[in-house]
Amino acid sequence: MYRKFAAIAMILSWLLLTCAPVLAHHSVAANFDQTRTVDVTGKVKGVAIRNPHSQITLEVARPEGGVTNFYVEWSDKNALVRRSVPVAKIRVGDIVTVNVNPSHRIPDLGYFRTATLPDGTVISDCGFAAFREGIAKGKTGC
Amino acid sequence: MKTAIVITLLIANSVQAHAAGKRAELDGVWILFRAEIGNLQLTPAAEKLRAAYDYHKDEPDFQCKPASFTRIMHTPSPPIELRQRQDRVEINYEFMDVRRRVPLKKGLSSANAPYAATRYPHLGRSAGEYDEETLVVETTGQHPGVMDTLGVPGLYQSGQMRTVERFIPDGNRMQVVVTHYDPVYFIQPFTVTFNYVRLPGGKIEKWDCKPEEATFEQFIPARK
Repeated sequence: MYRKFAAIAMILSWLLLTCAPVLAHHSVAANFDQTRTVDVTGKVKGVAIRNPHSQITLEVARPEGGVTNFYVEWSDKNALVRRSVPVAKIRVGDIVTVNVNPSHRIPDLGYFRTATLPDGTVISDCGFAAFREGIAKGKTGC
Repeated sequence: MKTAIVITLLIANSVQAHAAGKRAELDGVWILFRAEIGNLQLTPAAEKLRAAYDYHKDEPDFQCKPASFTRIMHTPSPPIELRQRQDRVEINYEFMDVRRRVPLKKGLSSANAPYAATRYPHLGRSAGEYDEETLVVETTGQHPGVMDTLGVPGLYQSGQMRTVERFIPDGNRMQVVVTHYDPVYFIQPFTVTFNYVRLPGGKIEKWDCKPEEATFEQFIPARK
């Protein structure tokens, strides 16, 4: 199952790579295509929830055989805690499907949107923009 | 001609942002809602530096170094905290664990003030006072180098830069208008306006940036 997703992700990423713009800084908007999403399925190899950016490393199958790493970039740890994202549910060794905004130019990199765990639980993160909108409207979060 | 200049100055003075709220409302924890960048006119020297800016190598973020107070405030998610005391204002930025102390002493010039953040002397020296309900903070003595990498990537500051920050209360909103005066890099004063919303019950958490985790390779690992 995850071989198929990985193959699609790699093809899409290659297409993105060939038409990548020149980037001037390291903001999320500059590095990741926020108009598109890709599903990547793989085994969780590492979860690093930290500042200034968190990262999940997935081991995904290569179409030609073998495995490769796919990196999922994410918010800073403090923001994830503040948004009450249950990051501890993403465990090393689990097979998960992560929905990402693909990198503009790096084939095996994306920015986190959701993760579907083995039991079907979906971990989602509304992101900072929705969080601040919620706070501005008097809510406690997103 | 003189009359025209006087009228212009009067108009300019009258449109300067004034507080709708009371200074006590500045106390609290705030998150950035929106930042607005004013008219930027760079000198040829600044344009040259900006053209050569390479965020892979030149982004202080990747060394756990806050480039400037403006850069800190441009970081979208980490909040800031203001606490007004009798003789000082404490401004605590979650980003990079910056703890800034601004003395409030009439007649004190920023040049004679202590380092605003002892852990980061390159951020310069600050002195504050109130203009009615608005807190006004002047900062000088910033070290030359990269000033902003998010709002305006590759913007540099010289050692001659002077900034004036106006913290304007408005209930559960706060506006911080930062005016940068730098004769080396800016043809005219450059202003950035940060609009904050209060984060009820919010607190400043430890950032604990580790250089080995903050590198460009960690942000974009596939480039290894």
